[in-house]
Amino acid sequence: MDEKALQLRLGIGACVASAVLVLFAIPNFVTAPSNVLNVVLSPLFWPYTLSALTGVAGLALIAASLRMPNTGEPVNEASDERGAAILRMIGIIIIMLVSLYLFKRLGLVWTCVLAFLATAFLVKTRHPITAIVCAVIIPLLLYAFFTHVAGVAIPQGNFVRLP
Amino acid sequence: MSFLDSLAAGLALVGNLESFLALALGVAIGVIGGAIPGMSATMAVALTLPFTFSMQPITGILLLLGVYKGGIFGGSIPAILIKTPGTPASSATILDGFPMAEKGEAGRALGMALWASCTADVISNLSLILFAGWLASFALSFGPPEFFTLILFSLTIIAGVSGDSLLRGALSALLGLMLATVGLDLVYGTNRFTFGDPNMMGGLNFIAVLIGLFAIPEVLAMVWNPTAHLGNARKLGSSWVSFADYKKSFKSIVRGSFIGVFLGSIPGIGAAPAAFLSYSEARRKSPDKENFGKGEVEGVAASEAGNNGVAGATLIPLLALGVPGDVITAIIIGAFMIHGLQPGPMMFVLNANIIYGLFIGLIVSSVFLFFIGSLAIRGFRFVADIPKRILVPAVLILCIYGVFAVNNNVFDIGVMFAMGWVGYGMMRCRIPAAPFLIAFILGPLLEDNFRQSMLMSGSDWKVLFRGPITWFFWGATALTVVAIVRTSVRAIKNMNIVRSSVDVTIE
Repeated sequence: MDEKALQLRLGIGACVASAVLVLFAIPNFVTAPSNVLNVVLSPLFWPYTLSALTGVAGLALIAASLRMPNTGEPVNEASDERGAAILRMIGIIIIMLVSLYLFKRLGLVWTCVLAFLATAFLVKTRHPITAIVCAVIIPLLLYAFFTHVAGVAIPQGNFVRLP
Repeated sequence: MSFLDSLAAGLALVGNLESFLALALGVAIGVIGGAIPGMSATMAVALTLPFTFSMQPITGILLLLGVYKGGIFGGSIPAILIKTPGTPASSATILDGFPMAEKGEAGRALGMALWASCTADVISNLSLILFAGWLASFALSFGPPEFFTLILFSLTIIAGVSGDSLLRGALSALLGLMLATVGLDLVYGTNRFTFGDPNMMGGLNFIAVLIGLFAIPEVLAMVWNPTAHLGNARKLGSSWVSFADYKKSFKSIVRGSFIGVFLGSIPGIGAAPAAFLSYSEARRKSPDKENFGKGEVEGVAASEAGNNGVAGATLIPLLALGVPGDVITAIIIGAFMIHGLQPGPMMFVLNANIIYGLFIGLIVSSVFLFFIGSLAIRGFRFVADIPKRILVPAVLILCIYGVFAVNNNVFDIGVMFAMGWVGYGMMRCRIPAAPFLIAFILGPLLEDNFRQSMLMSGSDWKVLFRGPITWFFWGATALTVVAIVRTSVRAIKNMNIVRSSVDVTIE
């Protein structure tokens, strides 16, 4: 995707976002009292104004893209292997979602140990032993700092509890 | 309180081992963070922020300022040794730093970078001390309409100059302002995009949004391409910077420092443009201009003076007006807020001891930077050897702990992950993230000042044009828009001309 195509897509995306906000999101998810004396003081005024401006910015992006030349030069550098890169991105999404699910069940420390290991092996670390050692030590050190120095109650989970 | 009273109060606040240790530790973290390619001064400050929650406000803020100062210099080390800027601000340093490293003069280039950085740092800090108080006393007379126009001007300039295009910057700022509306309405207390979730009623957590925007995208970028940022470090070589080099470059260093101070005090411009402008001015004025780009020590001095000159000056709008000038000061404003402090003109009245304590700390930070920087130059190979594929998961875990520690809430970690993907998307689409974050921070202030103006005037729009200060900011906003639009149109025309000349050549 070159600069022109990117600009055009951004413009279309901004217009769509503006339309969704104005027609669906603001009417359904922003509430305003019925006795507001002046429209500019209403809780709806600011979101509607920003949405309209987003639409204007989108139209301007589209107009600017039409004036740009087709360079054919990709905007982003390609990864070494695109297929593998996409799989790694899916992998990191899964790590994030599973971590969110496990924080309350396994506790922050053990979930972070697993997340560290999974991420290190996802990016194909060339130092597996170091990764395993760091995966255990770093979350434990952070637990010690935040619990015993900063006084933050780090969730412990239902299984192994730390002092 | 007189100046001397304030100074004494500041000295009493920071005149202890804890503050100086925090400052020195901050500089060391910053230099290391800035020196690791793939990290940056911004990420180092963002990751350090959660560790300051349990500290005294002054100690925590000094730690972060130390990271900021150290990070800007630290970025020059990989720029010179492996041709990869540790921070965007060091991009100009590559131009002459790397050719010097290839000639076996890396030690000389790094030494000059350090000397120029420390000199610029002192000039920048003195400018901050001189101008911030003056600007704050002027800003004490600001009311809601003046603050509304000031914030609007700041957002316009940040949106305009942060990225390649005003329109993308504006889109980024608008999205940030929109995200800032999430939560209970400031006046009526009704729900705005809370979806009935109590976690969202106070709005999205600022720390989660900023770490999500500035640290997680780097993790995702590394996952996308794990072999990026790999490079071979050049040896330091036997030659070291001499006093003659420093004397030869002194004019360029001072000029670059003032360029940095000027550009840094304008919200949004940042260190990289200051470094490039300082470099080009040094080349224009130097008798050895033909050596620039081939390994000229004055080129390294000028670019480093330019980017470090910004570091103190960006605190001028932050402390005097409460407006963060760049992303790092936006993170530092978060540290103030966490400790219940609101930077701005009133802080010079209510918390003068903290302000003067910070000034003293900043002056001392230049001395720490000199010594810690000298050590870092020699120890870079250890930093360069940190495996990036161990660093990535470590950053992820630091982010998780840091964000959780703000509110003891797993929901914030979810917000951070979501914002990480938003930030990564913005990075891929070349949308600058700085306007998004700064608009997210200033959004509630902008809306609040607008509504207060309307309330105090009975919804009369003329209040927004009520005096010379509002007119000045409206005029400056209009001028900024016109200047940036003209530049953008010219850039598109140039692209078309280049394209058509390439087509003609091919035919």
